[in-house]
Amino acid sequence: MKTLALALAGLVLAPLFGGLAAGLDRVLTARLQSRLGPPLLQPFHDAAKLWSKVISPASPWQGLFVRWALTAALASAALFASGADLLLCFFVQAAGASFVALGAFCGSSPYGRLGAQRELFQMLAYEPVLLVALLCLAKAAGGFEASAVLAVNGPLLFKLPLVAPGLIFVVLVKLRKSPFDLAASQHMHQELVRGVYTDYAGRDLALIKIAHWADVAVVLWICALFWATGPVQMLLAGLVTLLLALLIDNISARLTWRVMLKVVAPAALALASANLFWLYLG
Amino acid sequence: MFGAFLKKSQLRSPWLLHFDCGSCNGCDIETLACLTPVYDVERFGIINVGNPRHADLLVVTGTVNPRNAVVLKNLFDQMPTPRLVIAIGACGCSGGVFREAPNVLGGVDKVIPVDVYVPGCPARPEAIMDAVVAGLAKLKGILEADQ
Repeated sequence: MKTLALALAGLVLAPLFGGLAAGLDRVLTARLQSRLGPPLLQPFHDAAKLWSKVISPASPWQGLFVRWALTAALASAALFASGADLLLCFFVQAAGASFVALGAFCGSSPYGRLGAQRELFQMLAYEPVLLVALLCLAKAAGGFEASAVLAVNGPLLFKLPLVAPGLIFVVLVKLRKSPFDLAASQHMHQELVRGVYTDYAGRDLALIKIAHWADVAVVLWICALFWATGPVQMLLAGLVTLLLALLIDNISARLTWRVMLKVVAPAALALASANLFWLYLG
Repeated sequence: MFGAFLKKSQLRSPWLLHFDCGSCNGCDIETLACLTPVYDVERFGIINVGNPRHADLLVVTGTVNPRNAVVLKNLFDQMPTPRLVIAIGACGCSGGVFREAPNVLGGVDKVIPVDVYVPGCPARPEAIMDAVVAGLAKLKGILEADQ
């Protein structure tokens, strides 16, 4: 019963927290640019507006992939919240990310297809790093259940110092932030129009946004597990990670996918793997 | 309650697509000035998007000629409904000083229905923001009439 309640809480709170993170992002970014910025709840207004728009989909398959992406993102959030197996949550999350790219491949826009290819490159770059980070978490906590990681006394960050930079890389990619905002061309980056999101419109785009918020909440939750000494500390750890990502976004230009795939991802993976070996030896 | 939130959100989140038909760039600069920290239209939830499928407002500057009329119509047709069109500057409203030129069809309303006209050569950023507000008032009327 408790597990079910936790899963339901994850299902509702993950998109809510993700949406608030998106709102905070827009307000803080505006302030950093000497602007006032939109209200904190603007992302919810955007999603509601998109929901009420009438437009035919670019491909009959897109609606299906959008709904699968949303289902996978929400399922991984619910699994994490209920304290399930970290690896299961990871693979469900990865499936959700690939549905977004598959839906974009169905459309006719060349920008959408190029964005989808870049999305696959991004997954190739960050998924191994995230997997090794979760293996490190499980090894340090002594169990693969999210609940086992929560039950550990004291912060895990000191046992996993080399995983932290890799996880920041994952957060930047997942939040679609500069220097790795390659697939979606979010915010003011518009060289691919809207990249992988170009063909999605109206209600489908609203659902994709909600799926993205749930994804963001899951990734920030994984970061918060590094300082899981209490609910307030976890919330603060998630917030600090978010603020760090926003700061990096605002002070850095974008890299190419080649640099991401050939330099940054191997470096992050090597650091995280070194930490894993150290845990096994130590 | 959900319906009321949806309706309110449609007025709070106008994403605009800017199309330069054949403008001298004067009105384009004034339109883009609205996005700078001085005017900061993101305060009102306005975002400049490059994709007609995501846009709610079509902001058109410059005169229409037979070649770009096709593009203009295509962009308008790809936008989801309900949608608004704002014609900016003397050229966008009527063809301006180029009205009698042999290749000029006239203002934007020769090709697609226009909801708000912004006069001026170039139009001032304040006038463009005022036009968006006027457009949203019109949209509110449309949404209430639908009910």
